[in-house]
Amino acid sequence: MFQLSRRSLLAALATAPLLPGIARAQAKPSPLQLVRPVAQYKIYVTQNVRKLVADTRVFVAAVKGGKIAEAQRLYAPTRTSYEKIEPVAELFSDLDAAIDSRADDHERRERDPAFGGFHRIEYALWVEKSTRNVGRVADKLMSDVLALQTRLTRLTFPPEKVVGGAAVLMEEVAATKISGEENRYSRTDLYDFQANFEGAYKIVTLLRPLVERQNRAFATKTEANFKAVFDTLAKYRTAGGGFVSYVQLSERDRRLLAGKVNILAEDLSKLRGMLGLN
Amino acid sequence: MTRQTANIDQQQPESPDRRRLLGVGIGALAAMPVAALAQSGGSVSDAAQSEGSHVADAPTSSHTQDRVEFRGRHQAGVTTPRPTAGMLASFYVLAETVDDLERLFHILTDRIAFLTMGGRQPDLDPKLPPAGSGILGPVVQPDALTITVSLGASLFTGDLGLEALRPRHLTQMEAHPNDALDPALCHGDLSIQFCSNTPDTNIHALRDIVKNTADLLVLFWKQEGTVPPIPAVPGQPSESARNFLGFRDGSANPDSNDEALMDRIVWVRPDQGEPDWAVGGSYQAVRIIRNFVERWDRTPLGEQEAIMGRLKASGAPMDGGTTEHDVPDYSRDPKGEKTPLDAHIRLANPRTAESEANLILRRPFNYSNGVTKSGQLEMGLLFICYQADLEAGFLTVQRRLDGEPLEEYIKPIGGGFFFTLPGVRDEKDWIGRSLIEAHRKA
Repeated sequence: MFQLSRRSLLAALATAPLLPGIARAQAKPSPLQLVRPVAQYKIYVTQNVRKLVADTRVFVAAVKGGKIAEAQRLYAPTRTSYEKIEPVAELFSDLDAAIDSRADDHERRERDPAFGGFHRIEYALWVEKSTRNVGRVADKLMSDVLALQTRLTRLTFPPEKVVGGAAVLMEEVAATKISGEENRYSRTDLYDFQANFEGAYKIVTLLRPLVERQNRAFATKTEANFKAVFDTLAKYRTAGGGFVSYVQLSERDRRLLAGKVNILAEDLSKLRGMLGLN
Repeated sequence: MTRQTANIDQQQPESPDRRRLLGVGIGALAAMPVAALAQSGGSVSDAAQSEGSHVADAPTSSHTQDRVEFRGRHQAGVTTPRPTAGMLASFYVLAETVDDLERLFHILTDRIAFLTMGGRQPDLDPKLPPAGSGILGPVVQPDALTITVSLGASLFTGDLGLEALRPRHLTQMEAHPNDALDPALCHGDLSIQFCSNTPDTNIHALRDIVKNTADLLVLFWKQEGTVPPIPAVPGQPSESARNFLGFRDGSANPDSNDEALMDRIVWVRPDQGEPDWAVGGSYQAVRIIRNFVERWDRTPLGEQEAIMGRLKASGAPMDGGTTEHDVPDYSRDPKGEKTPLDAHIRLANPRTAESEANLILRRPFNYSNGVTKSGQLEMGLLFICYQADLEAGFLTVQRRLDGEPLEEYIKPIGGGFFFTLPGVRDEKDWIGRSLIEAHRKA
């Protein structure tokens, strides 16, 4: 038994140096070393929320103008700036619910008067095929997105939320996105996947110098897993830079993505601890 | 393999923590009769014990330290006694190379060794996620856990290049006439059967394996089940557990203590034309069979008994006898005047010289999943059986059953066929080794 567990420990060290590496790890980075990556992340968020505001303005205008085809075309690209910064956008739970909740977050589903935001408009565009009922929803979406911008500008980014954000994005994908339930009416889920992975990858990239000092193997493995994800998603790109419908995702690639999401979620869950954050 | 609950003295780990723990009384269990440990499931404390206890106190069990040795010629969890709680989990395997698959097998072996023998989870930096879920506490109790690993046909027909090594009869399960298979509950690259005294122990083991194999396995479907314990009466022969139709299930099961019989019925032998690596393994057939229990409960008792071919209360056959252990003599009832010719047990096992070749070892659990859209109970049987030859075993038996009167009350909705890997022989061995080595030699 004892021999066996020692053997397992050695095997674990050989194959997955991430797990027990605590004793061997370098001294944790000081809080000062996190200032720069956190500041850079804030710039990234600011740029994305600015784009979100601009894109939402055009999208809302199309919806309110009853231009269904145009609004359908704008729907997924508009959302991507939100999906990239979801870990910090979610810090404001009232706005997140208003902007991005799904029908099943509401007891009466699509008929629930509290169901608003992007997905209510998605339902109007693809299922109701009419924007008659969502004029006020579109106005509310615009004001919520503007409120998000204001609040994010004033926010002091908590380092643990930034570092933990990479894992948060993976957990979201693993729990309720990989199944294709996020954009169930439009089937534009692959846009969201790409944005979620990009958002997580941005955080990992900004932290890479610190992570490499703690655990080079971790950095290499995580890089490889992100690359596998982006390579898989790239197969589903359309000529215009968008993505094909989620229903065209092969079962095999769905499983591969699920596995990569799981291992990224497992590994990135150690990122905060590795950098000495609570 | 050691079919008995292992003696704790032999299992005593050398870690000081563990030794201290064993010193405070759990070691006394080693003196308990092996049979008593192995046969009983988790026990619920009786009223007398509950004096002075509080609502949310944990129920106590004297069986949390039961251990079933997982090493041996065969995997545990097939012929070892079935405890109260079972779970069958089916996975996709993400291994892209045979090296990945070997890595998966090593991880599984290490996790099975830890989970079935029990022990303390390592303490990690509190800034990191803990090593395990902790749902059994910091010291994992073995609780008679067995973990049985089997492979689906798709693992062999996939890109790993293992097709030449696929067991002869391992194919994807096909629908029988009464089946309404839900694709979300069928097949898989790899199955893991968990059996233990409590559902929580199985869930703990599943979560541990999911966490430790994140890049190699994706959970596909799972079904949990239980069997109701009965009071232990000294001197009485053991009884078969009842299914959700209220009938005893397992009365005619072959004796799993008869090793020669198990070698004939359950375990793949060298003379069967199977790949050499598969010897010592077994075919696992899984079926999730929904029971229409409301309708069944509205069926006259006599009709229920005619459909099953046994008396409901005692389990005795319909041509005489008083217990489930009495054997029906169909040769004296050729027209089915006592036991109808289409009764479930008569079709399943006609007890002729030829049907001896079709015996299977059943290891079922009852499942209960909630409520259907029609407001009926979604419950039934998590049927699991093992045999040396899937064609002669489950497939032949099921073909005989196709069209039986019982079909009006049951609906198979899921399951799959898997090949249970040969055992982990010793501390140097690992699950699936014979398959990987056969591939490397080829």
